[in-house]
Amino acid sequence: MQAFAYSNSPYPIRPDLPEAYRDAWQQLANPGTWWSGRERVALAQEVRNAQGCELCANRKAALSPFADVEGRHLATSKLPSSVVDVVHRLTTDPSRLTPSWLQEVTSEAFTSGHYVETISVVVTTLCIDTFHRSLGFDLEPLPAPHDGQPSVYVPEGLNNDTGWVPMIGQAQDPEQDLWPGARMVPNVIKALSSVPDAVRLLKTLSAAQYVPMADVPNPSAGGDRAISRAQIEFIAARVSAINDCFY
Amino acid sequence: MLLRVTSEIDDQTPNLKSITQGKDVVSGVAHGELLSELVELTLDQHHQADSLATTRQAISDAMSPEALVDAAAVIGNFQRMVRIADGTGIPLDKPIAAMTADMREELGYNDFESAKNTPPVNRLLAWLAITFRPLMIKRMTAQRNRG
Repeated sequence: MQAFAYSNSPYPIRPDLPEAYRDAWQQLANPGTWWSGRERVALAQEVRNAQGCELCANRKAALSPFADVEGRHLATSKLPSSVVDVVHRLTTDPSRLTPSWLQEVTSEAFTSGHYVETISVVVTTLCIDTFHRSLGFDLEPLPAPHDGQPSVYVPEGLNNDTGWVPMIGQAQDPEQDLWPGARMVPNVIKALSSVPDAVRLLKTLSAAQYVPMADVPNPSAGGDRAISRAQIEFIAARVSAINDCFY
Repeated sequence: MLLRVTSEIDDQTPNLKSITQGKDVVSGVAHGELLSELVELTLDQHHQADSLATTRQAISDAMSPEALVDAAAVIGNFQRMVRIADGTGIPLDKPIAAMTADMREELGYNDFESAKNTPPVNRLLAWLAITFRPLMIKRMTAQRNRG
């Protein structure tokens, strides 16, 4: 059966949503830039585990996210425990991450490229799962991973001027499609650009769930939705506030 | 910022406190309280399925089933964006940081842990940006109306 069929949905689902979700699931199953398909699906499974993880709940309640809270993560994958910890923190307590923490967790085996791709998998899984949860749908089963090796592709023009991870400053071929013709590219779009496919996936999902990236600064964009742009921005602001997100 | 601009286009004045304080504060946005409730229940770790179902029905009745789907999609989208921002430690983009300095102060955003990722805005620059903000909003609104 096709993924994201929504055949029993009591609500009319716009076709661009399941199309974007199917695209995301396909990419999730494929080898990425730094992780294999199997590893990417395992990362996604840990996103789901994190939401029922007692250690994460206790740690979120602690004064410091790095407090010595006892316990083990609710984990089912064969990923290294340090990677599981990264996924669980990104999922359940992202606003209290620090640059020194990231410096500690990165290594030769877990590079900033692995980290950026991990963020991409976490947010892809979470944004789709959240949509399902909000509408009372069961979560879509994770895709079966595809064989193959990660590409280990590093784009030209990376710099460390902004944030904690390298980002593309000026997009050159073959990354010209990431933000074509944009006068000002918001940091949140550039953030994952050391893994260009992560930005491409972000754009696909954002166009379906929010508005196309190029239209974000245009307050008239989003006119084809059943809610107004003001309502869209109100929801966006409320989600950000609950997540303690300054950005 | 975008909330303020887009609300003015709809001739509404949002109560920014409803962003941080939730459904119990009148939002000034059409059906804002219902939408806020949907956000809160969707993100609630205790998964109050019955309450969420009631809110879904209320939105479907008061707005439309299509509106409910669009709202759920936006919630999903911003679960993504906040993690990208906080996971990569990016600062708020400079023009936005200057134009929203007063709003962030008013809403207590500067107390968020992730506020450390954005350097303080030059006071003169912030004053200028905030002073000219209404003009900019008018320009954006006019642009929209022309469109």
